[in-house]
Amino acid sequence: MKPDTPAVTAEGLSKSYRKWGRTRAFGTLKSALLGRSLAAALAPSEVVAALSDVSFTVARGETFGVVGPNGCGKSTLLKLVAGLFKPTSGRIAVDGKVSALIELGAGFHPEISGRENVVINGVMLGLTRKEIERKLPEIIAFSGLEDFIDEPVKTYSSGMYVRLGFAVAVHVDPDILVVDEVLAVGDEAFAHRCLDTIAEFSRRGKTIFFVSHSLVLVEELCDRVLYLDHGRVKGLGDPREMLATYRLDVAAGEGARLATEHRRDQEILKENPPLPDAPRKQDVELPLEQPLEQKVPLGPDEKLCRWGNRDVTITGCRLLDSSGAERYAFRSGESMTIEISVAPRIATVDFVFGIGIFTPDEVCVHGCNTEIDGFLPERLDGPATVCVTLPRLDLGTGTYLLDVAVHSRRETPYDYWRGACRFQVDSPDRDAGLYRPERRWAFAGAVSVSAR
Amino acid sequence: MLKNLAGLWRHRALVYVLVARELKARYRGSVLGFFWSLLNPLLMLAVYAVVFAVIFTGRGPATSPYALFLFSGLLPWNWLSSSLTDAAASLTTHGALLKKILFPAEVLPLVAVLAQGLHFVFALPVLLAGLVLGALGAFGPSIPLGWPLVQAVPLFILEGVFVAGVGLLLAALTVHFRDVKDLLATALSLWFFATPVLYTLSDIKQERVRALLLLNPAAPFFDGWHDALFYARWIEPSRWGLLLAIACVSFFLGYALFDRLRDSYPEAV
Repeated sequence: MKPDTPAVTAEGLSKSYRKWGRTRAFGTLKSALLGRSLAAALAPSEVVAALSDVSFTVARGETFGVVGPNGCGKSTLLKLVAGLFKPTSGRIAVDGKVSALIELGAGFHPEISGRENVVINGVMLGLTRKEIERKLPEIIAFSGLEDFIDEPVKTYSSGMYVRLGFAVAVHVDPDILVVDEVLAVGDEAFAHRCLDTIAEFSRRGKTIFFVSHSLVLVEELCDRVLYLDHGRVKGLGDPREMLATYRLDVAAGEGARLATEHRRDQEILKENPPLPDAPRKQDVELPLEQPLEQKVPLGPDEKLCRWGNRDVTITGCRLLDSSGAERYAFRSGESMTIEISVAPRIATVDFVFGIGIFTPDEVCVHGCNTEIDGFLPERLDGPATVCVTLPRLDLGTGTYLLDVAVHSRRETPYDYWRGACRFQVDSPDRDAGLYRPERRWAFAGAVSVSAR
Repeated sequence: MLKNLAGLWRHRALVYVLVARELKARYRGSVLGFFWSLLNPLLMLAVYAVVFAVIFTGRGPATSPYALFLFSGLLPWNWLSSSLTDAAASLTTHGALLKKILFPAEVLPLVAVLAQGLHFVFALPVLLAGLVLGALGAFGPSIPLGWPLVQAVPLFILEGVFVAGVGLLLAALTVHFRDVKDLLATALSLWFFATPVLYTLSDIKQERVRALLLLNPAAPFFDGWHDALFYARWIEPSRWGLLLAIACVSFFLGYALFDRLRDSYPEAV
C-alpha cells in the first residue's frame, strides 16, 4: 500500500450477468443431461450488462459517493470493489484492506450467542482471534447490546442484529470502507453513531466508498460523486452538481409519467363524455338485478371523482410552465399556470371558476376562486379558456393534486373535478414542509456564522 | 490453484471457529447437549445388538458378533454420508456469506466434513466400550482386542481427506445443479450397499461382482476400519499406499474443480 497510489482504480470496467432461458431457470442437471448437450445447457441465452465501461479513480482518504436509480449498477459496482465479483472485462485495482458494510451481520448464526457471533464474524472479516478478543469489549459497548450479548442472536430484533453487525464491521479497521444502504436501519441514535463513525474514518484518512439513496447524506459526506445510469457513467465530479443533475433527471422522469397519466385521463374523458347530473360515487345505489356490466359505470366520473349538473362542463385542464409548455413537474419557486377549458350547455351569467391544491392525503394547501378574488361573472355563452398563473410556486418537495371546479355563485356545482391534474414539485434544498417561503436570516450579538 | 491451496492454511482460524460454531449450535437448546453425540451411537448400538441377536440370527462366524462388526463400519460410514450431505449443501445454505463478504468458499465444505468428523470422534468411546465388552464375551464369542486399534488415527485422517475431496466436488456442482442434493440421497444409499459396511469383500463369492465392488474407492477404507477395529489386524503397507493414493487423488480432483468454478459462486448461489 503506497500513499500516492489511488485506493481504487477502475478502468473500462464492465460486468454482465447471464440471463438463463426458461428451460434453465433453476439449472437442473436433468435438463442438462436429457435435453441438449451440457455445453448448450450451460450457455447463456442472453447477457445483461449491469455495468459498461466504467472508469474512475478514488484517491486515498477520499469519500466517494455513488448515486443512481434502482438497477443502475450501484450494487454490482460495490461488489466489484469489495472483490466479491470479478469484472467481465476491464480492470479494477483496490489497494488496501476492504471492509464491506454491504449486509451487516451476514453469517450470524441464529442459535449461538451475540458474543460468539462477534468472534466468528470478526474472524470472517479477517481479524485474528487475538485481535477480536482484544476488541470485544469495545465492540459490545459500541453496539449498546451489553444486556443481550449472551443471548442467542435469534432472539434479537432486526435493529439489534444490524447494530451488532455494524459494530463488528467498523472495528475491523479497514483501509477502505464500502458502505451500502445500511444506515436506513436502526434507530435515530444509532444512525447518528454510524454517521459519526463514518466521519471519524474520514478524518483518519481512510477511503470511503459510499452508496445511498439518501441524497442528503451523499451531499453531506462525499467529496466526489459518481452518477450511474443504466450501468454507464452519467457524470463524475462535485456532489452538488451531480446531485442536481440526478434530481433533475428524476423530476423529468416523474413529469413525463404524470404527463402520460394526464393524457390518458383526458382521453378517457373524450371517449366517455361525462353525463349531466352525474351523482357522486357514494350516492349511487344500483338495483341488484342489474347485470354486472351496467352496475359499475367505469367512466371518468368513477375514476376521477367528479360531480355537478353539467350546465357548464370542464373539457380539459392542463398545467403550463412560464414558457407556455405543458409540464407536470416543477421546481419550487417556478411559475405555474393552470389552464381550464370549459363549454356551457346553455349561455349563463352565473358562474365561478375555482381551483384547489391538495396533498395526496387531502390536506388543502390552497384554494381560491374567481369570486374570492373579486371577479364578477358577466357572460359565458360558448367554449372558453380560463388561466390562473401562480408566479412563484413556493411549495415543498412532493406530489400535489389539483381540483378544478366551475359552479354557480350560490355554490351549486356545475362541474367539480377532483384531482384533475397531478403534479410534482421538487425543492432544491432540504427544508421541510409544504410551504417554502423566502427566508432571510439575521444575526446580532455574540453570534457568528459563515456561509457553507 | 496451488497458491489457493496454500492459502487454506491461513484460514485455519476461520475453520476452527466455524467448526466450533457448528458443534455449539447443533445441541444448543437441547437438555442433554453434547451428550447426544455419545447417546446417539449408544442407542444405535443397542438397537443393532438386539436386532442381530434376536431377529437376524445365523450369520457366519467371520462377522460375529455381528452388531460389533456392523458398528465398526457403520460409524465411519455415517461420517462419510452425513459429511457429503452437509458439504453438498454448504455453499447454497451459506450463500449470504459468499454474496456479502469476501469469504474463502472452500472453508464451508471442509467445515462440514470436520464438524461431522468430530461427532464421529465423540462416538468412538461408545464403540471402544462395545469392543471391550465384545472382547470379554458379552456379545457371544469373544473378539480380539489390541494395538491395531491405533490404526484408527491414520484411517481417520485419510478418510477425512478423501471425503473432503468428494465434498468439494459435490459442493461446487450443487451451486450450478440444485438436483445434486436430491440425487445424492439415493446415490448414498446405493453407495452404502456397494461398500463393505454390512459385509466383507470375502463374503462375495462371484468373482465378477467382487471385481466390480473393488472399483469403489471407498471400499478399501471400510476394509481398513473392519481390520483395525473389529479384527484387530495390522493393515499391510501396500494397502496404506492405496488409501493414501485414493485420498490424495480425490482431494486434488475435488479441489481443482472447486477452484476452477470459484468465481461463479457469489453470483450463482
